[in-house]
Parts: sequence; C-alpha cells; structure tokens
Amino acid sequence: MSTLSPTVRPGAAPDQPADEAEAPVRGLWRQGLAVFCENRLALVGLGLFVLLAGICFLGPLFYHTDQVHTDLTAVHLAPGQQGHPLGTDGVGYDQLGRLMLGGQTSIIVGLAAGILATAVGTLWGAVAGFVGGWVDAAMMRVVDAMMSIPSLFLFMLLAAIVTPSVPMLILIIGAFAWLGPARLVRGEALTLRSREYVQAMRAMGGTGGRAVRRHIVPNAIGTVTVNATFQVADAILYVAYLSFLGLGVPPPAANWGGMLSDGLADTYSGHWWLLYPPGIAIILIVLAFNFIGDGLRDAFEVRLRRR
Amino acid sequence: MSESTVRRSFAAGDTAGVSPLLELRDLDTDIALRRGTVHALDGVSLEVLPGETLGVVGESGSGKTMTALSIMGLLPPGGRVSGGQILFEGRDLRSMPADEVRRIRGVRMGMVFQDPLTSLNPTMRIGVQVAEPLRVHEKVGRAEARERAIDILRRVGMPRPEQIVDNYPHELSGGMRQRVAIAMALVCSPRLLIADEPTTALDVTTQRQILELIDDLREEFGMAVILVTHDLGVIAGRADRVAVMYAGRVVETAATGTLFRSPRHRYTEALMEALPESAIRETGEHAQLYSIPGLPPDLSRPLTGCRFAPRCRHVTDECRTTELTLSAGEHQHACLHPVPTAPAAPATRPAPARIEPALPPAVPTTGPAEPAITPVLSVRALVKNYAAHGRGLLRRTAGEVSAVAGVSFDVGPGETFGLVGESGCGKSTVGRLAVGLERPTAGQIMLDGTDIAGLAGRERRRMHRQVQLMFQDSYAAMNPRMRVDAILAEPLEIQKVGDGAARRARIATLLDQVGLSRRVLERYPHEFSGGQLQRIGLARSLALQPRLIVGDEPVSALDVSIQAQVLNLMRDLQRELGLAYVFISHDLSVVDYMADRIGVMYLGKLVEVGPARDVVRAARHPYTQALIDAVPSITPNAATARGGITIQGELPSALNPPTGCRFRTRCPLAQEICETEPPLAGDTHQVACHFPLRPESGKAPTRVGAAA
Amino acid sequence: MVRYLITRLGQALVVVVIVTVIAFLILHLLPGGAARATLGKEATLEQLAAFNHEMGYDRPWIQQYGMYVQRLLHGDLGYSYQLNQTVVEAISQRLPKTMVLSLLSTLLAIVLAIPLGVIQAVRRNRWPDYAITSLSLLAYATPIFFMGLMMIILFSQVWPILPPEAPQGFTVAEVLADPAGLVLPTVTLAIVTIAVYSRYVRSAMVDNLNENYVRTARSKGLSERRVVLRHTLRNGLFPIIALLGMYLPALFSGALVVESLFNFPGMGQLFWQAALKRDFPILLGVTVIISIATVLGALVADLLYAAVDPRVRLRRSTT
Repeated sequence: MSTLSPTVRPGAAPDQPADEAEAPVRGLWRQGLAVFCENRLALVGLGLFVLLAGICFLGPLFYHTDQVHTDLTAVHLAPGQQGHPLGTDGVGYDQLGRLMLGGQTSIIVGLAAGILATAVGTLWGAVAGFVGGWVDAAMMRVVDAMMSIPSLFLFMLLAAIVTPSVPMLILIIGAFAWLGPARLVRGEALTLRSREYVQAMRAMGGTGGRAVRRHIVPNAIGTVTVNATFQVADAILYVAYLSFLGLGVPPPAANWGGMLSDGLADTYSGHWWLLYPPGIAIILIVLAFNFIGDGLRDAFEVRLRRR
Repeated sequence: MSESTVRRSFAAGDTAGVSPLLELRDLDTDIALRRGTVHALDGVSLEVLPGETLGVVGESGSGKTMTALSIMGLLPPGGRVSGGQILFEGRDLRSMPADEVRRIRGVRMGMVFQDPLTSLNPTMRIGVQVAEPLRVHEKVGRAEARERAIDILRRVGMPRPEQIVDNYPHELSGGMRQRVAIAMALVCSPRLLIADEPTTALDVTTQRQILELIDDLREEFGMAVILVTHDLGVIAGRADRVAVMYAGRVVETAATGTLFRSPRHRYTEALMEALPESAIRETGEHAQLYSIPGLPPDLSRPLTGCRFAPRCRHVTDECRTTELTLSAGEHQHACLHPVPTAPAAPATRPAPARIEPALPPAVPTTGPAEPAITPVLSVRALVKNYAAHGRGLLRRTAGEVSAVAGVSFDVGPGETFGLVGESGCGKSTVGRLAVGLERPTAGQIMLDGTDIAGLAGRERRRMHRQVQLMFQDSYAAMNPRMRVDAILAEPLEIQKVGDGAARRARIATLLDQVGLSRRVLERYPHEFSGGQLQRIGLARSLALQPRLIVGDEPVSALDVSIQAQVLNLMRDLQRELGLAYVFISHDLSVVDYMADRIGVMYLGKLVEVGPARDVVRAARHPYTQALIDAVPSITPNAATARGGITIQGELPSALNPPTGCRFRTRCPLAQEICETEPPLAGDTHQVACHFPLRPESGKAPTRVGAAA
Repeated sequence: MVRYLITRLGQALVVVVIVTVIAFLILHLLPGGAARATLGKEATLEQLAAFNHEMGYDRPWIQQYGMYVQRLLHGDLGYSYQLNQTVVEAISQRLPKTMVLSLLSTLLAIVLAIPLGVIQAVRRNRWPDYAITSLSLLAYATPIFFMGLMMIILFSQVWPILPPEAPQGFTVAEVLADPAGLVLPTVTLAIVTIAVYSRYVRSAMVDNLNENYVRTARSKGLSERRVVLRHTLRNGLFPIIALLGMYLPALFSGALVVESLFNFPGMGQLFWQAALKRDFPILLGVTVIISIATVLGALVADLLYAAVDPRVRLRRSTT
C-alpha cells in the first residue's frame, strides 16, 4: 500500500500513483494500543481490574471497619443488618470490609508473585536458550523436575516450612510460577536465534550481543508481557488455594480463599453472604486478567501481520 | 472418434460439434476477509473440451488458483461462488444437490495440488489414502481396493508399488509423493484432472518427469487436463490451449501455438517480453528486460474498465471506462488495442532465444578476467561438512553431511557469476561461506586476495564491508519490529560508518538508487509487497558499498513482471557501481540472462564452469545438458522439449554421496571409470567429467582424460 | 523406536534424581532441622542432638544424600511419629484411592472433551464455539473448591440427591461400593479438566483443518463428516496423548483440593493434614511419590504417542 513518487530513476519502476488516500503512519505501539482498545473483552477486563482494585484499596479509606478486634455480639448478621452491607462472619468481622482487605492481599501477592516469576523465569530461559549446549540441557532438566512436582504440593510443602507472611507467600508462589515463563522464553530464544534477520545482521558483521539487544529482546517482549498477565491470574488462584487450605496468611489478615474456607462451615446454615462474594470476587479478577492477557496477545500479534 | 484424435483437431480449429466437458460461464467468486470482500473472480468464462489440456496462466492474484478451487468447491473459509455457472458434462454444478456434486467431484474430477508434502495425510498409509475414493464412492471391498491402488500406483510410474502401498508419505521423496497425489486423483478414472502448480515445488528435472507423466496419463485415460501455472514455459510445452488471466478475469484465450507466436492482449505481450528468455541475445549484451510498471489492482475495491489499463503502454482513456469482454472466435482477447496481427514482426517482438545446441557458440565477449586483475572473490577447494546429529540423549554425531566438496571458482570485478543447481546441491552453502556466515571445513575463500578464514575480530568485521548477502525472502531477513530507516541504518551502525547526518544522507542515496521514495522510511516491513521488499533488501546490501553481492535466489519468489523490475535494477546498479554478483539460483533461464559466467553444481561438486553462453548453448557435462533440456521454454520447440537427456532416479543422500563422480548413479553415460573422481579440466570452459559431451569451443577436439 | 524409549527413560530418570535432590534440599531447609520438626517444639537440645546423630543428620551433606537415596531405593521413606506408621504404609493405603479418583475424572473428561472440542472447531467463531469457550474460561477461572462448594450446595442441599461427602472406605473396593458419593468429587475434578482438554482438542482440530491434506480429502469428494472424523480428528488426537501426560501435575493438584473439600481419604487429604500438622516425613514422602507418579505418567503418555503416531514412529533423517 505504500506509494512512490513518480520521479524515480528509469529502470526502476514506479508503483501505483498516489490516488488512494494514504493511511497515516503510526508507530507499532500505537497500532498495538488501537488493536487492544478494539477488543471489547480486553477493555472489560481492564475495567474490571480497575474497579476491583479500586474497591479493595480505596474502599477502606471511605468505609471503615474493624478487622482486628472480634465482636461476638454481631455474629452472622445478614446483609443489611446493623449497617453491614454484606453482613458479618462467625467472629463479627464485617464482610465487606473483610472482602476489601482480602482483596488487597490477593492482588498484591498475585501481582508481585506474577512479576517475580516472570522476571526470574525470563532470565533463566534466556540464558538457557541463548547459551545452548549442555548448559541449556541442565537448566531445562531442573525446570522439568520442578514441573513434575504438582504445584499445590510444592506450595504446601514450602508453606509448612516457613512462617507464613505476605512476603513469604510471594516467594513461595514465585518459586513455582517461574517455571512456565522459563520454558516459554527459552523456546523464544531458540527460535529467534535462528531467525533470518539475526543471520542477516551477522552477515553485516554484527555481534551476538547486538543480536540479543536489538533483535531478540524486542521481539520476545510481547510474549513475555502476555505471559506475565496470565502468571498474575494464576498466582491469584494459587493464593486463594493456599489460603483455603489454611496455609496462607494467618488471621486477622484476610484473603478471599481463606474467607471461603471459613465459610465452609456455613454451607449448611444458609449464610450465603459468607460464600458467594469471595468466590465471585476471585472469579472476576482472574477473568479480568485473562481478558487483558488475550487482548495484549492480539495487540502484539497484529503488527506482524503482513499487509 | 477416440479422444486423442479429437484433441489433435483442436489446433486446427475444428471444434464444431464437440460439446465442452467443462464450461464456466460468467463465474464470480468472492472471498470475505476481515478488511473487506475480495472479488477474486469477475465474470470468468472458460471451456475445456474432452481430452485436451487447457493451460491457465497468470501471476499471483490473477485468480487462476481461485478458478480451479471454485470448480472443485474447495474455496478457503470465507470464499463462495457468488454468480455464474459451472457446467460439467452439461449440468450446472451450482444447482445440483450437495451430495451429488460431491460425488461428481470425487469420481469424475480429480485435483492435484502444489505441495505434495502437505497435501497427503501424514498418518495414513499410501494405499489407504489412494484407495479411499474407491471405498467411499464405488463401495469397493478392501482387498480389491488395495489391488486397484497398487495398479494405479504402477501406472503412475512408482517403483515397487506393492511395497509403497504400506508406506507413509514422509518416507517418500517429493517427486514420488506427487505421483501418489496424481494416483489418488486418478483412481476413479475421472474425465477431468485439475493440476494446480503441480511441479512448482519440485526440482526442474523432477518437474519434467511429472509433466510428462501427466501428459501420458491424459492420453491413456482419455481425460481433459486443466494445468494452472505461472510458468509460461510449462504451458508452451504441454498445453493445447491457453487462457491468460489477470486480476480475476480472463484476458486472452487461444491455441498454444497461436498465443506464443502472436499474442493479442497487451498484458500477454508484456508478460512474454518480461521473461529473461526474451531478452537474451546471442552476441553482445543482453537486452533490458521489459518490466511492467506498477502492481496488480486491489481486488477488494470496485474496478472499472480494463484492469490492466494502469500499467499498459498503449492505454487510452477509452480503456479505463469501457467494460470489456472476450472477443469471439478461436483466439479471444479482451483488449481495445490488441497487438496487430501483421505478418511482419513488430518492434516489440522478442528475438528467438534458443538455438539448436549443435551450432558452435559465438566467441564470448565478456570473457574471464585477465590474469593480471585480482578477482574480487576467489574460492579454492572449498569444503563444508555438517555433523548430522543422532537422536540420542547426547545427540551423538551420526555421520557427516557433505554439503560442499571441493569447489573452486573466481569472480572478477564487475562481473556476475551465476551458480546454478537443484535443491541440495550446496549452492546456498557456498553463498553463506562466501559472506562469512559460516566457516569452511577446508579450503580458502579470498576476497581481493585476502583469505577471510584467517581474519578475526576487527579485521573480520571490516571484511563484511566488502561482501554482502541478498536474501530470497527479504521479509524474513528483516526484523518485523524495525522501521525501514532503522533497517537500512543497521549496517552503517554496526560498521560505525559516519555520524547521524552522514548516515541519513547515505540512506537517501540508497533509496534513490533502488527507486524507492523517502516515505518508505517510516514504514514497517509487513506493509510492503514482495518486489518492494527485495529492493529494500538490495538497498541494505549496498549500504556498505561492497564490491560483491551474493544473491541467494533473489528473484525466485517474485512474479515475472516484478522479477523483471528487480533484475533490471540489479544490472543497472552493476553498471553504475562496478558491482560483482554471485547469482545463486535454480532457475537456469534467469541465470542465463544475468550471468557472465556460470558454474553448475551437483551434490556439493562443481561439475561445469565457464562463460554463460558456452555453458548454456554448448554444455559439456551431461547433468548441465539435462538441466537445460528440462527447463520449459516459451518457444514451442517440440524437438528440444521431447528429446535430449532425461535423468532418472533420485538424488542420493548427502550423508553418503557416491564415490568418484557423484552424478554417476543417474548418468546415462556412466561407466566403470566414473568411480574415480574426474578433475575439473579445461581452460575457460571447464568440466568435471570423464566423457564430456563436446570439446571446449575454439579448441581442437581432444579426448579429455586425466590430463588437464 | 527402541532408541527413543531408552532416551525418554534416561530423561525421566534424570528428572527423578533431581526431584530427590530437591526434596533432600528442602529437608535441610527446615528451620531447626528435621529433628525439631519431627520431635516437636518441646524437645530438648539433647534429644535433638541424639535424634540428629541417630538419623545421621550431623554428617556431611553428600553422605546424607547418599544415605537418603539408599533408603529410597529400599523403599524407606521415613516414619511419621504423628500417625505412628511408616510413610510407605500411610501412602500405600491412600494412593490407590487417589488413583481411582484421578482415573475416573480423566476418563470422564476425555469422553466429554473430545466432542466438545470437535464442535468448537467445526463451528469455530460461531455461537457454539463462543458458548463453550466462555464456559471453559469460566471453569478455569473458578477455584476448584468454590466449584465444589457450588456442587455441594446444588446437589446436596437444593436438590438433595447426592451425598456431600466422599466414600470413606478403606480399600478401593469399599470406595467403589459407594458410587453416589464418588459422583460429586469426580465431576468437580473433571470440570476444569474438561475445560482444558477441550481447548487442546479444539486447537489441534483447528490447526489440522487448515492443513492442505484436509483440502485433498475434500477434493476426493468425501463427506464433511468423514473428513472431520477420519482425517482431522485422528491426526489431531495423536499429539493430545502427549499433552495428557503433561497435564498430570495439575490434575493431582486438583485432586488434592477435591479430596480436602469432600473429605476423600486419599493421598491428597493425607498430604493436607500433614501440612497442617507439620508432619515432614509424610510431606516429603508424598512429594517424592507423587512426582514419580507424574514422571511415569508423562513417560507413558509420550511413549504411547510415539508408538501410535506414524510420523514419530518412523522418523528417520529424511532430506
């Protein structure tokens, strides 16, 4: 679709005359952003995340509840009673406030663990893929071995060893989650290394360092970023699982998964407000990150489409 | 009246009373894409008579493949036939119930596709796949179906069909797979065979085998063939009638002989002039290729008038506004200003390109460099072996692939050395070695007299300034996330040439040299067409002002008209800048046009090297002669097309090449002495053969033995 | 083929060795050492020292690892003071039941996922595809325990047709004798598995539907049904066999949650209880065993795939 000026040298043929409206040239980032915004689900995901994060982090500023001291006089109140929009739980904590607090933990741990996992995994995979040879084989065998241990088992093992706290939780989840990005980045490094444009660069006299800096990293960034969002979604799920199984942060700290395990006992007592809100909250935020990840994947891909 | 006699009478124009086997009337096909609907076919009308071969020729985007797919009902997702009729044996396929149409297409028609590797089901045995139509449509039992499968495989020339029947596709070579595909299409004895680029993915020598096979089978089965291809040479040799397509329409139909002798439509004329064949002259410099300016139109927009008008030399205002249809009669065309059918050849007619090989060739005017001038590139006894890895845990070496086995040649300043051979001969490896992308196992590569193998570090980096590489697929050779200005600046950055302003100036000069506007600088590779990408690739190769550019199949992926543009550009630049080229290609006609001297490679060895005209007109090595004979030419010279040397058999494995002369396993002249290696012997026109076909031109006929 | 078998076995062996190293390292990460963990907080220093000496924890690490491996090879995974049985005993009581649960879920998932995947592929980008994809995404985003909870509420409270607790039998036979109790845990575990598997099938089908050989099959005039089932699905299912092996770790993690939620007396529940009580011999023993199970499962899947898919089976160095 590019147009050429008619004043070209003879022997070199001019292309079509510029009678079609020339599309404005936009940088790759802006093209990607445009694609992302076209994807409605991605926008919904982004909106959901902003909404939930807002509620959890900004909510307590406006809506004060006591999440440390129990109040055994106000136990198991239904929503709406005594000024508790979502009722109270078995020790008198306000559910809505607890939801917000729990959300903070979930989101912080999820984001931190996801990003940590991506960073470590990328480095590991990049070294393995780029160096190759036996270094690559050894590093990948370690990844294979750790992947053979089911994630929850590993988490719980580690959680049983250390004293639970938010930083510890982040490290534990990160300790497993880095395996996925490592495999992915290693695969990317291997393919990109043999791409023809890297070879073309070598034919010009370029070095390996330049190959990594100018060619491999920019092209791998897309995959890594997309994968990072999915890592965050997975991390949030892992936190929920750990908390549900009693190995997350101890009370009075809250977490959506923990709230659900507390609510287990109330399955038969009909205290639905202790079960559905945390569960639905988990589902919503995981969905949000998945939508964002899908939207990002399209945004990074489309620029590579030919014509 | 048997089928074959019916066919013969076509050329004479006697078709009265014969109803066509297949008739397309005003066929419209649309493809719904994300960015809009592409009107791939617009009012296509064709007919195919029983037992004849109709060639459908056109460049990419012309609609020839879409026509074939429309007939078979195999349009891609989003595609549908939106108008017109498809009359097969007098019945309109579009108005028949789906099941019946399916049966007809399965039994009475057969189709063969371009890529035999991916066109066969990789997990089904050959016999099962071939017999499937029998079992489904004719309700044949398993045992009988197997017998008939073996039978049809034998008829398509498969060796040991009883064993092949139980093999899987990936166990066969490309040529054999295509035979299987043909067998599969013919197993129910159809009346029509559609072949969509059946030989494009095959080697030139295999190509010839397959085309001959299709011809023989056509006679044997008494069926009609639609041969869809972009290669005019193939059409010239094999088709009875030809339909030329452009931009979704048929622009000309005629009997083959008539079409090539006197094309009427200006596009057909231009296409023939753009062929390298047409521009080759026997003496002096070859003529400039006629390159059709511009690009084919975008079929997703509404178009008026003649679709070739924007690119035609003889266009008038009328052409742009009048809707054209094919004229009536035997030789139909849709052009307001067709080529006049004057008996005297008009100025635009090409000179005849082929001369009988027996004539003594002219004294070459562009000879090899004088001994006193240092060649730009000098390759001596170049050897490159690759380790073939086993599949063990430790990936132990399972042998060596001998990719290049002792190649020597020189390239003088400002000359073009053509390196020609089929796939697997090692020509690409030689190119990569010359550019320094790989290190040779043995031998010397000398640039301007300096052996590059001994260079390291900064000196090696400087060496890269002297020789650059141009790729077949420039798109793959460019980082898709880099803009063109960054792509062009990269060589300058790596070699630390000049500062920002100087580099910008150099880039501007490069763009001028390759004929691109400044506006391309801001764009990304995926926004360009194939021809433009090759120009950008060429510009990048020129950035460091090299003395030599190695082009690895630089025009093989381009349409004929675009190819002409790029070839002309390369020749102009050569004249202007004193560039030398190593032109690597499997396409002998292009190399014949471009090269001053040609080297022919086979399985890692250089079997013949000499001045271009000598090598092509007076080949000395049997393999070279076979290559030449296999190349389809547009001058319908039946004698050369059917005679000459046909090599049989398959390419030996490079893991275990034949001892001595590597060609001896397939050479019709091979004898016991060929088990010892023939040296490359000769003066200016050298050959490595114990029994060269003819002596060197201008020399007394001597028996070439062990002495040089 | 034999070469491939040996290669894969070798790789699996290496992986298992690394797993034991990791398990061993974790044992030494324990604060206060294994002694503290085993004997509890009240143990005195002398008791700790005696324990350490008896177990050989005061010897150099390499030697300890050697002893550890020796013990492993003799089938000795340690002793659980809290359960008062050897780890091997505890595991062997529970392992078969977990395998039953996993197997049933997997079978259920395969049976449902294949048709779902085929529908998605054949009707891709139309409403059946969107509907199934959305449901799959929802299933993936829902924590298993929440899903299980919903199932319990729905089928044990709202419509009380199924028991909320899994069968408590000791042996496999006893467990299987109470099929009603098995339904909810199996289905809960299967739902996420179905979501993932149907995605695999869809993806494999879509890839294959775009292949040239499908076009050739259509050119032979075969019915769409035959093209989809005999050509595309067949080719698409081969690599999925290998993928099933890779999914095993996730399956076992899911089984852990399901067992905890439904009180199913399998290995997952054992592990969970041990985690709460800090019973490290059990924790490590189960980790090693379940990892070996995963590696073996993946190995079997890979070998099955290699044996069945002609492309892999007959691979040679073709040009």
